[in-house]
Order: sequence, then C-alpha cells, then structure tokens
Amino acid sequence: MKKSALFTVAVPTLLLLMIAVAGSQEEIEFVDNSDFSNAQRPPSVFRHEEHNEIAELEDCAECHHIYDDNGQKLEDESSEDQRCSECHESRSSGRKPSLTRAYHVNCKGCHLKQKKGPFLCGECHVKQ
Amino acid sequence: MVDVYTFVSGPLAWAAFTICIGGCLYRLISLIVLAYKKERFIFTYMSFSYGLRSIVHWITPFATENWRRHPVLTVVTFAFHISLVIAPIFLLSHIVLWEEAWDLRWPALPDALADTMAVIVIAGCIFFLVRRLKLPEVQFVTTASDYVILAIVAAPFVTGFLAYHQWVAYPYMVIAHIISGEVMLVAIPFTRLSHMVFSPLTRAYMGSEFGKVRMARDW
Repeated sequence: MKKSALFTVAVPTLLLLMIAVAGSQEEIEFVDNSDFSNAQRPPSVFRHEEHNEIAELEDCAECHHIYDDNGQKLEDESSEDQRCSECHESRSSGRKPSLTRAYHVNCKGCHLKQKKGPFLCGECHVKQ
Repeated sequence: MVDVYTFVSGPLAWAAFTICIGGCLYRLISLIVLAYKKERFIFTYMSFSYGLRSIVHWITPFATENWRRHPVLTVVTFAFHISLVIAPIFLLSHIVLWEEAWDLRWPALPDALADTMAVIVIAGCIFFLVRRLKLPEVQFVTTASDYVILAIVAAPFVTGFLAYHQWVAYPYMVIAHIISGEVMLVAIPFTRLSHMVFSPLTRAYMGSEFGKVRMARDW
C-alpha cells in the first residue's frame, strides 16, 4: 500500500515540481508582448542573460527602474518584481512614456548612444 | 551603420522636411506674386464657390466627363494617390518614430493594409510608366524628367515594401528607404510633383473661369 502511494502521489508531484523549476529558469528569448492586445510586429528578440553579459550590465534598475511622482529616479530601488505595464500605460502621461515609447526609447535609445546593438525596426522585431 | 542611421534619420530628415515645406511655401508665394504682377485678371476671375465646386467634382471618382471617358486611368489614379498619401502618414512604423521623437501618436493602419497600399503605389507607377511609353497623347507631353519623377516616387515604396518583409539586405534597405523618402520630399517643390500643392489652385481657377466667366458647366 505504501509503495503505491509513493508512486501515485510523490512521484508525479516531484515531476511537476521539476518541470516548474526548469520552466522558471528558461532563458528569456523575447520581450513578453502580451500587454499589447493587437501587436502588429513579432515580439522583440531579447536574450536577457546574454544581453546583460555583453552589455556588462550589473545594475538591474538600468531597465527595471522606479521613478517617484516628481519624475526622479530612485537610485536604490528596482522593479524586477513588476510588469513594465504596471506603470507604463498605453498612453504617455506627463513625463512617463507610453509602454511602446518606453521600450523603444529605453532599448533603441541606449543602443544608439552606445553605438552597439540593434537599432532598426526589423533587427529586433525579426520576422520568422 | 549607427552613424549612417543617425545622420539620415536626424540632420538629413530635418533638411528634407525643411526644404519640402519651405520650398512649397516659396513656390506658392512666388506663383501668387507672379500672377499679381503679370496676369492680375486671374484674381477677378477667381470664385470661391465655383472653385470649390470644381475641386469637389474632380476629386470624386467618375464624377466628371473626363474620368468617365478613362475608367481604367480613373481607378488607378485614385487608388494610387490615396495610397501614396495615406499609407506613409498612417503607417505604424512611421508613427512609432514620431512617438519616439516627439511623443506624438495617432491611429495607425493595420500593417497588412498598408502593405497592400504600397503594392498599389508600385503598380500605379508601372501603369503610369507604360502609359507614358505607349499613349501618343501622353508621349507628346513627356520629358526625361517625368521618368525620373516616377522613379523618385516608386523608390520609397519599393524599398519600404522590401524592408517591411525583411527579405533582402535588411539594414541597407532601411537606409535606402529613408534616403529615397527624403529625395522625394525634396523633389516635391521643384518638380512636377508640385502638383501636390498647385493642383487645387489650377483646378479652382479653371472651375472659376468655367462657372463665373464662361457661365459654362464644369465638365
């Protein structure tokens, strides 16, 4: 009896756990565009780990930033636990850019400034 | 490539828009000044209502005798001109750039529709090219510059279409697209493309003369 309980409960639970863990550590390959209801372009290619290694980015808040109500960036805080769309809405308001503008200015703006990385529409939004 | 892009999408774009808008204003003002000096009667002939009536009449497909006599040309020219003007203004990729630069945004066409409109413009250019080569009455008023203008108009749409589909030499195609668009903007005030600005005026004048002076129908 005990043996069958092990196989019907413990083993599947363990398997599920392993899948969940493996899934959560899967490398990010694209920007998650699920906040755009009618996306016209393929999601932007973005390999998170590879990008930060090449760009030598240590500070998460470079992208995962937090700004206070006065538009001041809070130096010691970051927002990895939030979705970009929790702050950036579909329309710009005041100095806070819309979600599309936030992505474009953040990614492309930095690439142009650093003269590294993709900067043309189709270099990120690659058609499969 | 970054530097090339920064240059063609920055200073060169500023120059192209400035020359286009400034050039059109210059041509418009100098035309009015010239008319005032040499053919002042034009101003007494001009009528707002007859002018507007004629413009509305001629921008309605098949409304005029001439449009009805050339049904194929009518369909092509309307589809061509509507696509030529609407597609670039309401193209998502263009709006995204305005948003990036100025935080401006307006509704966009679905990409698939804009893509179709680009094909319509390219097909229209081919139609006009064949028409210039084949029809004697068009040949008669054709000069070399007319072919150059057709190429100038087709180029941004051909490169834009290819860049959108990312088929060949993508980065170069985008740069070629930007430059060819700027060439077209600069060409508008100084070539026959200036009919973009002048055609409402010539139409309004003819409409006025037919209505107010000759008391004739606007055909």
